Amino acid sequence: MVLIRSRTARSVIKVAVPFLILPVLTIAGALIFDQKKHIIISLSVAVFALLLFAAGFEKRSTGTRRMVIVAVMTALCFAGRFIPFLKPIMALTIISALYLGGEAGFLVGALAAVLSNFYFGQGPWTAFQMLAWGFSGLFAGFFAEHLKKSKALLLIYGALSGILYSWIMDIWTVLWYNEGFSLKFYLSTLTTAIPYTLSYMVSNVLFLLLLSKPIGDKLGRIKIKYGV
Amino acid sequence: MRSFSDYHPIVIAVWFFSVTGVAMFCNYPPLMAIALCGGVAFFAMKNGASHGRTHLYFWLLFLVLALINPLISHNGRTVLFVIDNSPITLEALLYGLNSAAMIVGVLYFFRSFTQIMTSEKLLCITGALSPKLSLVLSMALRSVPMFSKHWRKIADSQKAMGLFCEDNIIDDIRGRMRIFSILITWALENGIVTADSMAARGYGTGKRTQMRRVAFFAADWIFLLLTAALVSLCAAAVGTGCLSFEFYPEISASSLGALGIAGICAYAALVMLPIINEMGVKLKWRYLMSEI
Repeated sequence: MVLIRSRTARSVIKVAVPFLILPVLTIAGALIFDQKKHIIISLSVAVFALLLFAAGFEKRSTGTRRMVIVAVMTALCFAGRFIPFLKPIMALTIISALYLGGEAGFLVGALAAVLSNFYFGQGPWTAFQMLAWGFSGLFAGFFAEHLKKSKALLLIYGALSGILYSWIMDIWTVLWYNEGFSLKFYLSTLTTAIPYTLSYMVSNVLFLLLLSKPIGDKLGRIKIKYGV
Repeated sequence: MRSFSDYHPIVIAVWFFSVTGVAMFCNYPPLMAIALCGGVAFFAMKNGASHGRTHLYFWLLFLVLALINPLISHNGRTVLFVIDNSPITLEALLYGLNSAAMIVGVLYFFRSFTQIMTSEKLLCITGALSPKLSLVLSMALRSVPMFSKHWRKIADSQKAMGLFCEDNIIDDIRGRMRIFSILITWALENGIVTADSMAARGYGTGKRTQMRRVAFFAADWIFLLLTAALVSLCAAAVGTGCLSFEFYPEISASSLGALGIAGICAYAALVMLPIINEMGVKLKWRYLMSEI
């Protein structure tokens, strides 16, 4: 393993790799290959992003207590996916991100996706689900201060992330079927997926409304009591 | 000689990702047909005649996917008939069939993958990549049955104390909410106790080991190298354009050539690898039994 001595160089690489290489990979892939190969590019970008995140997590020293709490929240998400129609995964991911930080939120979302797919079926979409749920947690962690202060904002964030999740997964569906992005197909999948989009939205809002206060209080209490 | 599911998890994962990757990367109809047949054969070999509902669901999906393309896309020269002023073309229909064969084939493979790749095997792979993530995963996995057991315990004691009855809906829901709240408090506290106990036993101070020993045997290497060789032959054929196929505006295929034929044969062999392996295992078992 090569050790980079300069501190600034290290931090530059840390920022540059995810924010430069991923878009460059995407654009280069789109230009070099013809549009039939978009699916492979999007898949490899998703897997690469997840690997990057895993590498970052592995390097940093995370407290054992924090890790165990992440595992507990992941298990809760996993168990929640068995509820028919209404899925609390995203709401729970967002709540954990608010109190444990963006990285923990990303982990909860991404790991809940890969674990629960052992029951609901693994597939190439697992990588996209991991990324989508993970990002809903990561961004909730970024805006944690605002979201914690105003409940209306939190509910709007929940509804938006539900819609975005559905739309992102539909991009994937189109890429998979059509080998190349086609707007017509995308719009028709969006219309057929409206019930799902609504169910994601409703369950996010509902579970955030019901659970954000009690679970948030409990997480806050654990944080104060044990100094996680 | 071992059954396919007893090979090293990395070998299994590499095989699955190569088979499905080639199917998703390429749109050459014979390859899609091979992928679909292989997926069905592999699933049937694992499960026999059971899982009728899965088959029904997949073939209904196949029908829908095959028919949706000609209804939405009107590209192509050969018009079959006209519905509501929109032409239905042969090319779009064939394109839909091709895509449907690919998707349903890959779905079959991934259904078998979900069956073979147990969570323990996943932990073996993630453990090699990132021991920390693998730990979080395995703890989450263990927590799920533990939570459901503890849920029952809390529910029983709440009922025994007469705090809620199940025949009144409002009372029932409020009781369940209370149980859920108790469960989460307990789960978090229990997690902290676990973490402290792990730290006290020296977690993170030494090299991590695994519960089950997984070794890389010669057979694993052979399977892995065979997979790699067949995939690179396939990739060479696809990459040089021997296996390109255009649906629009007119159906046209590139001339196959020796490399194209080799690529198709390689993909067929790749898909058949575990099936051949399984047949070999069964034959050997029969032979050993006949000796007794």
